[in-house]
Amino acid sequence: MSDTPNSVLTAKGIAKNYGPVVALRSVDLSVEPGEIHALLGANGAGKSTFVKVLAGVIHQDAGTNHINGDPVSFKMPNEAAEAGIATVFQDPALIPDLSLDQNLTISGLQHRDVEPWLERLKLANYDFGLLARDVPLATRRLIDLARALALDPQLLMLDEITAALTPEQADLVFDVMREWKRMNRSVLFISHRLGEVLSICDVATILRNGRDVANFSLDGVEESELVAAMLGEALAGAAPAADSGLTSSVADDTDVVLKAIDLDFRGKVNGISFDLRRGEVLGLTALEGQGQDELFALLSGDHRPNTGEIIVNGEPMVARSPYDAIRKGLVFVPADRQEALLPQRSVRENLAMPLYNRIERWFNLRRDEGKRVGAAIERLDIDTRAASQVQRLSGGNRQKVTIGRWLVEDFEVLLCFDPTRGIDIQTKTQIYELLREVAAGGASVLIYSSELREIPLVCDRVLVMYDGAIVHEQPAATATEEILLTAAHGLEVVSS
Amino acid sequence: MTATTPTAERRLGSPEVKRWIQRHGWTVGIWLLLVVLVIWYTTLIPKFGGFQTSTIITGGTSWIFLGVAQAVVVIAGGLDLGVGGMLVLTSVAAAQFMDGQSLGVILILAVLITIAAAVVNGLVGWIITVSKVPDIVVTLGSLFIYQGLALMVLPKVGGGTSGSFRWMFTGSENGIGSNPWPAIVVITIPVVIIAWWMGRTRSGLSLYAVGSDKTAAFLSGVRDAKTKIVAFAVAGAFSALAGFSSVSISGVGNPTTDGGTLTLNSVAAIVLGGVALTGGVGSVLAVVPAAMILFFFNPILSALGVDPNRAQVIQGILIVLVMMVAGVLEWRRSRRS
Repeated sequence: MSDTPNSVLTAKGIAKNYGPVVALRSVDLSVEPGEIHALLGANGAGKSTFVKVLAGVIHQDAGTNHINGDPVSFKMPNEAAEAGIATVFQDPALIPDLSLDQNLTISGLQHRDVEPWLERLKLANYDFGLLARDVPLATRRLIDLARALALDPQLLMLDEITAALTPEQADLVFDVMREWKRMNRSVLFISHRLGEVLSICDVATILRNGRDVANFSLDGVEESELVAAMLGEALAGAAPAADSGLTSSVADDTDVVLKAIDLDFRGKVNGISFDLRRGEVLGLTALEGQGQDELFALLSGDHRPNTGEIIVNGEPMVARSPYDAIRKGLVFVPADRQEALLPQRSVRENLAMPLYNRIERWFNLRRDEGKRVGAAIERLDIDTRAASQVQRLSGGNRQKVTIGRWLVEDFEVLLCFDPTRGIDIQTKTQIYELLREVAAGGASVLIYSSELREIPLVCDRVLVMYDGAIVHEQPAATATEEILLTAAHGLEVVSS
Repeated sequence: MTATTPTAERRLGSPEVKRWIQRHGWTVGIWLLLVVLVIWYTTLIPKFGGFQTSTIITGGTSWIFLGVAQAVVVIAGGLDLGVGGMLVLTSVAAAQFMDGQSLGVILILAVLITIAAAVVNGLVGWIITVSKVPDIVVTLGSLFIYQGLALMVLPKVGGGTSGSFRWMFTGSENGIGSNPWPAIVVITIPVVIIAWWMGRTRSGLSLYAVGSDKTAAFLSGVRDAKTKIVAFAVAGAFSALAGFSSVSISGVGNPTTDGGTLTLNSVAAIVLGGVALTGGVGSVLAVVPAAMILFFFNPILSALGVDPNRAQVIQGILIVLVMMVAGVLEWRRSRRS
């Protein structure tokens, strides 16, 4: 890594833990003036955490950060902005209930400060009296960008800004980035779209498992090389599925429990069809924001598809709410464990919750049902000292409760959305076993996972989503991380 | 969007005006409702003149100040059950210390009491941000504490203030007169200042930012804790103004006034004023007529000859009805867009 004295930004040994989960182990990065620097890595490599540390949103546990050679430590994002780092975050930072003009005031800016940039982004006459919540997402991202530029930073950090933009709008952003570079300013650019990374960026730093593992110039580099760099050599010997002894193969002629036909939803889900067979664990993976959230919202009854059909056991499902999906046997385990549980109630009550869905059981559970709850608690192997309130459990144990509460009631399909995110390795293994057991018991599982290496460990078959469509399908046992990551970037998988 | 703007303009006439009405629809509507009620009221009673106008505005002053106090906190995503208690505490403090003093001393005391109320209530906001205990719990405590302190400052009804100080809030040296202008001025100045601050300045808009989306506010550089403390301090100051109005009308301090009921009135005023209890939405300019309307219910119902015991039931039903109508309008608006 070059470490010239005139670097705009020099970060050294940045580390960050969230409880037992390590987000960043040690990251070094330096950005030179007039450089467009790409920050790349698979999901969970630590890119967004690293950007948040640099931007003053979160505080690192270890490591130092220098701007123009001066040590800095920010408590608030605006302090970073004053020091010369402005960021367009992945989550929109405009206040929904304020007008765009008022949002500028909040950041200490006036309309004339952003005007020159708005012109370049083709938003010159945009109505800034509109409430931010009434502005389309893509426009909000561009205004976020104009606001960041108006702060006149030396380093501009763009976290997945192009994800929500049309190709034309993305081109406008690239023009602005080039202009910024001509002014001898710098950009740190994060994107899943490798094509645009290669066309706009000068150098790349690759993160993997919370470390910077490579740093190189992008001259003459190809997309496949970037994917290889993100995966690293360590992967050659990743545990293949057969070794784990968990997966089983399901015969093709087994009956189909869940069938999705040509699902379309608000441009986020485009013509998705698949079959889920009895006793199968079907994996789904994708980069962030490829429509997987919406697909699960459709299947769990939270939304209804614009067109297309969901067939459960041969009958079409028209769900007005998750209640209807649950009655059909589709039960959902969301990624946000707080969302699904009653944090102040006991493990026992949380597990019994689905049973109370029937009005005749409001006052009394049947005796055998009480037993089933007891058996489920035992099965989940949860430390019962903390069992009086679910909120005292660790993240991993909470996730076991969200899955476990469906075990006391009969269901057909378990829909799991990133169930092992931020969970320690031992609990992960227990969750894998739990899912395999569910499948062995005759139910089916559809699991979305952002952790590519867990796909072969737990799934029979895997689908890869990109831009709202399924772009790849194959048996999970042979799904290497390389194949999955390549497909997830919308690139063609070359069978070797 | 450049392509659609001209056609939209042709179809809608002036989009600025239309949007202004849409954005401030609640404020406009609630002022209109107040005007309609006043006009109706003039037909109900035999004589409507300066005295009646003055009675209504003067009586409504403390409701307005307390409503604004509550609105500032709720817009910032909080809730202050203590405002009613602070009204009682500041009014008895005023009655205790102002009694027999010259106007100069009284005005200095008024400023000091207002500042003290702001500091003490700001401290409550600080406790909430540090302890992470919900607002409703901490301010329930502050309500009781203020009420108890009021009894310590002034054990029973008594004290007083000077005639000229009473004139500032009531237009009369003995609390009842036919000149509404002093009360109008004393309401308008602080309310306009606070509305300007909340709508135009960085620190004032921070209240909306924190109440609307904490994460986005933080990313925009707004400090959550500081904003909450400021909101509670402003609420304390406005509660003190309400206290002064109350002592000016009655001429004495009454430590046994039920601050809890006053707090609930302030919550009713902001709800009717279109302030979202979830935070981030609303305007103090709509809380002013809403508080007036709530205060106005009683004179109207008594003019109609309704039994005072039933008046509260009718008042409650009317509030729910207004909210339902507003809810339907909002739902239709969101469906159209």
